[in-house]
Amino acid sequence: MAGKPQPPRRSDKDAASGANAGWAAVAYLLGGMAVWGGVGWLVDRWLGLDGIATAVGCVLGVAGGVYLTVKKLGA
Amino acid sequence: MSGPISYLASDLPWPPSVEDFYLPAIVHGTYPWITKFTALVWLAVAIIIVFFLLAYRKPKLVPTKAQWLAESVYGFGRNNVAEEVIGHKGLRFAPYLATLLVFILVTNLFSIVPLIQVSPNSHIAFPAMLAVISYVMFNYLGIRQHGFWPYVKMNLFLPGVPWPMYFLLVPIEFFSTFILRPLTLALRLFANMFAGHVILLVFTLGGFVLLQSDSLFIKPISVLSWAMAIALTFFEVLVCALQAYVFALLTASYVTGALAEEH
Repeated sequence: MAGKPQPPRRSDKDAASGANAGWAAVAYLLGGMAVWGGVGWLVDRWLGLDGIATAVGCVLGVAGGVYLTVKKLGA
Repeated sequence: MSGPISYLASDLPWPPSVEDFYLPAIVHGTYPWITKFTALVWLAVAIIIVFFLLAYRKPKLVPTKAQWLAESVYGFGRNNVAEEVIGHKGLRFAPYLATLLVFILVTNLFSIVPLIQVSPNSHIAFPAMLAVISYVMFNYLGIRQHGFWPYVKMNLFLPGVPWPMYFLLVPIEFFSTFILRPLTLALRLFANMFAGHVILLVFTLGGFVLLQSDSLFIKPISVLSWAMAIALTFFEVLVCALQAYVFALLTASYVTGALAEEH
């Protein structure tokens, strides 16, 4: 850059990793629900359980998503 | 009612719909290959190449305005995206990231240039293609760095977790890393540009619809509608720049993840 003093670097880096962590957390939480909720839905259709398996799947998926978020992104 | 405005208004497509995004071919019989959108992509490529060639043709120690602009834009991609996110070895990705940044910025900005006023990125095909390029690139880099199975294992198996948990976690990791990433990369850019265009259509065309009203009390509200259209156009500038930055930033952070030694 044209001879300008470099801005302090930490803030940029923090902002970038913060945005990335945010998207990653959203992906885990929604992904967990979508994957295991989807599996539950398939089980529902297969065994005719009227949505119980979908509900269990969603709860399991959210639990997995929260676990991953905490493990990977938590302090 | 008479005059050009009422004539225009009666011809207006109201309300705005998805149909407004399917413009006819420029040359008859070439749909969908030669439309306003593809023409705009070529225009963007031409603008970027010509601008950077001219700006750098005779580089001076004390830069001219064009050279300063080109250096600032590239410097932003190089320092604030490539080096900040990936680190020192990220410099070799600076050309790709800066190109991504500039290309998305220019194509986005078409959405507010008078007489053009639509961005190619409001069609899912264009952001999807950009996302595919980034997706293939970061996976290729990861596989080259670690080998295929170690790379997959590194992404799917979180270390330090009791093994029965893997039944629950591996599908989630797979879904979020290999499916959601490219999907959200493309959708975020597409949805922002699509919604921005619809909003501008609503307020601009809405002004004409209000003007067409029979009630004298409703007609003046069209001024308010157009004022909103102008304000939102400036807001669009912000969205255009932000989406270009976010796309490059996330690509850079995916590359970082692929090159990382261990989580």
